[in-house]
Amino acid sequence: MTTPTYNRVSLPSNDNVNPYVFCVDLNGQWFAQKGKMIAYYGQIRFESLSAGPLDALVAANFHSPLYARDWIVAQGQGKLLLADRGFDVNSYDLTDGNLTIRAGNLLAFEPGLDLKQSIIPGFLTLIGTGRFIAASNGPVHFVEPPVRVDPQALLGWADCPSPCHHYDHSYVRGVLGTAGSLLGIRGTSGEEHQFDFTGEGTVLMQSSEVVRDTETVLRDLEGQIGMLGAGGLQRLQHFIAQRLAVERD
Amino acid sequence: MLAVDLMGETIRALNGSMVAYDGQMTFKRQGITGGEGLRGALRRRVAGEGMTLMEVTGHGTVYLAHEAAEVTLIPLQGDTLYVESESLLALDAGLRTGVQFVGLRGMSSGQGLATTKVEGHGMVAILSDGPAVALEVVPGEPLQVDPHAYVAHRGQLQQDFVTDVNWRTVLGQGSGESVQFRYQGHGVVYVQPAERGGGVLEI
Amino acid sequence: MPAFSPINSKMLQAPVGPGRELYSRRGAMLAYVGQVYFEPTVTAGAGIGGALGRAMAGEHVPMMRVTGQGTVMFGYGGLDVTVIDLQGDTLYVEADRLLVHDASLQSGTMFLGEQGGLAGVIRGQVTGQGLFTTTLTGHGSVAVLSHGGVIELPITPQRPVHVDPQAYVAHRGNVQNRLSTSLGLRDLIGRGSGEAFQLELSGQGTVYVQASEKKI
Repeated sequence: MTTPTYNRVSLPSNDNVNPYVFCVDLNGQWFAQKGKMIAYYGQIRFESLSAGPLDALVAANFHSPLYARDWIVAQGQGKLLLADRGFDVNSYDLTDGNLTIRAGNLLAFEPGLDLKQSIIPGFLTLIGTGRFIAASNGPVHFVEPPVRVDPQALLGWADCPSPCHHYDHSYVRGVLGTAGSLLGIRGTSGEEHQFDFTGEGTVLMQSSEVVRDTETVLRDLEGQIGMLGAGGLQRLQHFIAQRLAVERD
Repeated sequence: MLAVDLMGETIRALNGSMVAYDGQMTFKRQGITGGEGLRGALRRRVAGEGMTLMEVTGHGTVYLAHEAAEVTLIPLQGDTLYVESESLLALDAGLRTGVQFVGLRGMSSGQGLATTKVEGHGMVAILSDGPAVALEVVPGEPLQVDPHAYVAHRGQLQQDFVTDVNWRTVLGQGSGESVQFRYQGHGVVYVQPAERGGGVLEI
Repeated sequence: MPAFSPINSKMLQAPVGPGRELYSRRGAMLAYVGQVYFEPTVTAGAGIGGALGRAMAGEHVPMMRVTGQGTVMFGYGGLDVTVIDLQGDTLYVEADRLLVHDASLQSGTMFLGEQGGLAGVIRGQVTGQGLFTTTLTGHGSVAVLSHGGVIELPITPQRPVHVDPQAYVAHRGNVQNRLSTSLGLRDLIGRGSGEAFQLELSGQGTVYVQASEKKI
């Protein structure tokens, strides 16, 4: 029952050490999300994306200004151990493919892949050929469309069209029946909103996690405010004032 | 979860960690000295680290657990294990415990200024958030560790901060791994797949 | 009648159809296929009496009724899920541990420790434990939540089991229970070993214990 002791040589090469720890055999550069490294052997340097010598790499592979501050580049030679909140960790190989994943659950990816922001807030899309590492609360469960998934249980999707929002009829009726659309009316079953997947592809699910999404949503909204003119900004200000008044009651 | 079969022996276990037992068991809080004598207690007071062990004696099976943490068993054969006191689930009564001051490491990992030292011959059960990974350190092959993932270590190890030039340039821009420990020498370091929060050196 | 099928340690899948309805914790649906409806319910199949008992017990875990035709996946908060199949017997489980159960099961409420008499009741309140439990009786499946998974400990007349009330998840069988104080520890309350109160289960049955002192 005693745990095996690993050293630099005996640690697995680009494989799981256990279901919760992944070992990257680094020989060059990887993008890694901050705070996910737990230990390493060897000569490895961590640089922020703004470091001058990384300009070409970032220009070629990293296209998410929203999340740029959450990421670093690990470069050098060695064994790098990655983990995240004790979640299950898995590696995925993409071959000329695309996969979209919850931003907070992506731990690291090879520069062969391109990172872009998904249209769905809080998600990132990887395109190209290469390997990436992602965490999930419990093992990943793969399902095929058609399926409707609770937003907190959605880990990502591959090859299928982006999902749309699905609202239960009772919820829609509530919105129509009252002046509540503005007031952020809440449903009663707790299950009135899902992501609806159709078409060919694979949906990745996890046990629902308490998603610390406020920050992401805020960043997404702030990013979109740039598109508004003065008239739009005034209308938004009016809307926010009304919502604030309701929240204070 | 750890199941311990007792036939009249005594173990020491983390206060409140009993989840179930059958047979006859008694639980006794350790005195303020925690079996370390007055000097140990005084050092703990200074260090702000509470002694958190109780004595369990009886005939039967006692089940120990804490916050769904994983349990790793470490057999000690005369060597010394250093572990945060909250991560110490149980140990053979024959093992000696003491206090080791750790300076800045404790502060940066959100722990107290002192760590618990366990010495002697016997079994120690430590807790980790997810299964602990044991990483060997040999001369010429140092190991770098995120302080928040550190759980325990054993052997003859020197610990320092990673402070190369590159490191200082990343500091302040917040690389997320801005403080690291480097272990050199001969020994084993135990790390966990989750990071505890609350450290003062978090940047 | 197919039972709940576990997907992994934290998720399960259950069919829904005519004559096969479910009660589940609100917000515990992870995904579904087909036409499935979720509506809030107060009684969760327990009738008004049961609902009152639940309210008195301070068990306000909102439940919903799941109907329609399809397959539903359940899980909650990343907690571990354990499926227990009942064949006419009764499961005693704390309401906040319930993830989902067949609507065919009869639901009720009882107070754990009542065999311990008034002293048991008072002790239960001293420890701040909500030891009112939900009972489920009949033929069907129940899924319970735990922090870190559960172990099943057999209870036999020769071997009663003592459980930390906070680690207790559920039990079944012909079992007597009472709250007891650990030997010689009553004078240490407040600064004791942390094990001053235990739930003693004796008789013939099974108790489910989680690897944590954490309530849900």
